[in-house]
Amino acid sequence: MGTSPPRRFLYRGRSTEARTGETLLAAVSHGGLPLLERSLRYHRPRAPFCGIGQCTGCLVRVNGDPTVRSCRYLPSEGDRVDSPRGWPSVRRDLFGLLDLLFPQGIDAFRSLRRPMFATPLYQRVVRRLSGYGPPPPGVPPPEPSGPLLRKAEVVVVGGGASGEAVSHWLQAHGAHPLRIDRALGPTNGVGPDVLTGTSVTFLTPPRPNQEYPFALLGFDSAGGGVCVSARSVILATGGYDASLLFGNNDRPGVMTADLALAFSPEQERSWFHRAIVVGGGDRANEVLERLGSRVAAVVAPGEIRPDVVRIASELDIPLYPRSLVLRARGRSRVRGLDLKGRGGGPRFSLAGDAVVLAHRRLPNVPLFRLAGARTVWHPATAAHYPEVDPSGRTSVPGLYAVGPVAGPGAVTPAAVGEAVTVGAGERPVVGPSPIAHEVPAPGELEGYYRELLREPRRGRWIACRCEDILLREVEAASRAGYRGGELVKRYSALGTGLCQGRYCLPDVVLVLSVLEGRPPPEVGTVTARPPVFPTTLRALSSLDTVTAEEAA
Amino acid sequence: MTSVPRSRYRTVIVGAGIVGLYTAYHLARAGAGPTLVVDRGFLSGGASGRNGGGVRQQWETRATIRLARESVDAYRRFGREFGFNPWFRQGGYLFLAENAAELERLRTVHDLVRSEGLPSEVLSREEVALRVEGIAPGAAVGGTFLASDGTLYPFPVVWGVYEAVRSLGVDVVFGVDALGLEVRDGTVVGVRTTADTVATECVVNAAGGWSGDFSRRCGLEVPNVATRHEIFATEALKPFLDPMVVRPSDGLYFSQTVRGELVGGVLVPHPTGTSTGMPSSARFLTVMSRALVGLIPRLAPVRVLRAWSGFYDDTPDGFAVIGEDPRVRGFVHANGFGGHGFMLAPAATRRVAQAVLREATDLDPTLFSPARFLVKAAPSVAERLQLG
Ligand SMILES: Cc1cc2nc3c(=O)[nH]c(=O)nc-3n(C[C@H](O)[C@H](O)[C@H](O)COP(=O)(O)OP(=O)(O)OC[C@H]3O[C@@H](n4cnc5c(N)ncnc54)[C@H](O)[C@@H]3O)c2cc1C
Ligand code: FES
Repeated sequence: MGTSPPRRFLYRGRSTEARTGETLLAAVSHGGLPLLERSLRYHRPRAPFCGIGQCTGCLVRVNGDPTVRSCRYLPSEGDRVDSPRGWPSVRRDLFGLLDLLFPQGIDAFRSLRRPMFATPLYQRVVRRLSGYGPPPPGVPPPEPSGPLLRKAEVVVVGGGASGEAVSHWLQAHGAHPLRIDRALGPTNGVGPDVLTGTSVTFLTPPRPNQEYPFALLGFDSAGGGVCVSARSVILATGGYDASLLFGNNDRPGVMTADLALAFSPEQERSWFHRAIVVGGGDRANEVLERLGSRVAAVVAPGEIRPDVVRIASELDIPLYPRSLVLRARGRSRVRGLDLKGRGGGPRFSLAGDAVVLAHRRLPNVPLFRLAGARTVWHPATAAHYPEVDPSGRTSVPGLYAVGPVAGPGAVTPAAVGEAVTVGAGERPVVGPSPIAHEVPAPGELEGYYRELLREPRRGRWIACRCEDILLREVEAASRAGYRGGELVKRYSALGTGLCQGRYCLPDVVLVLSVLEGRPPPEVGTVTARPPVFPTTLRALSSLDTVTAEEAA
Repeated sequence: MTSVPRSRYRTVIVGAGIVGLYTAYHLARAGAGPTLVVDRGFLSGGASGRNGGGVRQQWETRATIRLARESVDAYRRFGREFGFNPWFRQGGYLFLAENAAELERLRTVHDLVRSEGLPSEVLSREEVALRVEGIAPGAAVGGTFLASDGTLYPFPVVWGVYEAVRSLGVDVVFGVDALGLEVRDGTVVGVRTTADTVATECVVNAAGGWSGDFSRRCGLEVPNVATRHEIFATEALKPFLDPMVVRPSDGLYFSQTVRGELVGGVLVPHPTGTSTGMPSSARFLTVMSRALVGLIPRLAPVRVLRAWSGFYDDTPDGFAVIGEDPRVRGFVHANGFGGHGFMLAPAATRRVAQAVLREATDLDPTLFSPARFLVKAAPSVAERLQLG
């Protein structure tokens, strides 16, 4: 490994190199933060945002496939890579005028109704403007290698710290868990019991009377279908950094801590030099520890914890606790933030070339929901977590949670390992959690939004990045009497994009809770829909013989 | 606790799906007195917010063709009438025949559709390939096509009718479950709900997939069966497919929305009844993907974004149930719409409103009336082109 020659591919017509193991995003961003995309409706410039293969900020067209996430794609020799959107180029896109022409947004459901005879014309124009790109031309290459089928007593999904810990505990106690992780490279040791670069997109509820009741469907890095049957499943799916609502919150340079930590340090030319970090807890701490010299300021919606204060003062970084983030400055790149002290404090601005969102970690719960596990609302983190006992048992027999996804309570890998191997009914061993959890004050973020929504607005407030839905559209839906998350989602089309609502619904639920005057859990969760990650028809179709047995 | 604004209504409609709301619309326009619509869920939470948006006039019986045709006209005018753009795109419906026998069967439908004055066409293998770009060679021997069929977005239709009935003074209440009828001397006098008992002389069962459940709650045996059907949407692509494509042999259907997603389903049987809820299955995801890639191989790299499911409200003969129940005076059915309630709603509910107002309808009672199930005879006519 590591000695194979670099792969050469064509990027916007220019020959470019990727080193072994280097993602496409890394390979094309040696000159700094790349501008790869234009947004779906208003053609706003977009740059990578999430860094974990969820958002639409780094989409490129590879060999005709219009929606490849460059942060998760390893280029092959001879690939042709370009940007599917933007005319004549992503950088100078004439359709960017839409952003100026429709400052109020486009109401797709009420506009273009008259005259009737013009309907076909409107539809043709709108159809042309929509969509990521034409379907890949020609007949695609044959299926990679046929479906990968596995059976396992125990499957551990997620190869982060807690997934690894529980796997090691199980191995040390004579079990052979099958470990699955989305990460591309070999993470911690490759062997027959590890599937890396494999994304689990569907976890069925346990099928009655089956020796291996769970079926996990997914795809591997070559795009092939994967099906694993399992007796028990441990989900160590961890969390991700949430988005935040403010004016022009989609400006290139606004990014999650996930992205800042994963990509920025490796670049020869760093993506930023003066980042404004948003957050005052664990995650902000982590960002300061790793990127401290490139941080210009720390702002937080709430208080800033003493340990963060300590690091910041060592590095001479100014702190702005209890601040409302009003707007990002700059046009094609973030140049700073407009802020205001909470509780009627003064307005002020900070300069910076990036905004790193590190204020809130959210758990990856969709697989739990699909498997039928109950979830509970934790007011302190303003998120739904699977309902677990101290041994990580969920409400679905055979399904366990461990690590951050199990919630702020203490579920240790040992306790889960024991529960899985010993089986139900035995007393679990409970110890302190090895994973630090951030626990802000209950309702903190709701209070933040209650205050923020009273401020005058400048810039576009993007509620849903994937579909370019504005906060004002959410408010309009609410004003028109469409209450609750499910209904607002359907009314505004929010949350129906490639990330399936990961980066919009959590904040919109809080906004709705303010607008509707009832607690967030009453505003409602939105039903989880499979697949959890966009999954190719090819991968899914290769598995139809497998699921035939489910029907039998 | 949700409450009902008044204690007495002329008409209470159970179910705020497209059928219930459109019925209320016709009633309000006719000045039929106070109307209440109750729904235990949320607006668009039933099949009306879960369907594929297909609107076609190619059917096996004249009765259905005529209802569909009237509805197509209504959906063309919808934007003007209701202030919401349903994006009703008349890109046609293309039925695929995999073999000669199948083509023969479609040809008889085609002949009937033509005799109703609609310009349906029989397509050759080559003509099919022109309309379905990238179709696998040999996947179809031909097909039938009607250009004025099309697809729409269900949501703006639901919003439009909902806002219209509210501005016409209809009360629409969510979060209220209808529990059963109050009957005196064989006549409806009220409906029991989780909020209150509401006095009324007419109750309309427009509960979609749950209509059988509701009739049975009212102590009435009905043959309606809820069957779960699944559907998925892919990522949005640039336009490459105009018509809705249907393959009757396995129930595959799909179209490309104005936004660019492919939306479609295929028949994957599930246990009947509403008790399972509306989950998605691994089987559907994989069978549907295989069917689609088998038909259009170049779609293999396209990604599926989300799958969901909903209930069809099926009847033994495939016709809806419209009219007063002969066993209880004042209990009107507006259900049994199977997989085509959305496309028939504007026209069918006009007849429901007539039944509520005790006016004569032009519907053939042997096909649509609830009384047809009370006679012990096998149905002579059936509408079998159910999917897509
Ligand atoms: C996957 C799928 C695809 C489809 N594709 C198409 C298509 O392409 N074209 C087409 O025309 N049709 C299609 N259909 C069918 C179409 O969606 C339905 O026929 C139509 O929406 C039925 O409308 P409805 O108002 O009768 O029922 P629904 O929309 O289901 O509304 C019924 C309402 O009744 C409420 N309710 C039930 N019981 C009670 C009670 N006891 N008390 C109070 N409220 C109650 C429910 O909450 C629900 O809101 C499809 C259906 C599905 C599931
Ligand atoms: S931000 Fe991705 S769907 Fe809304």
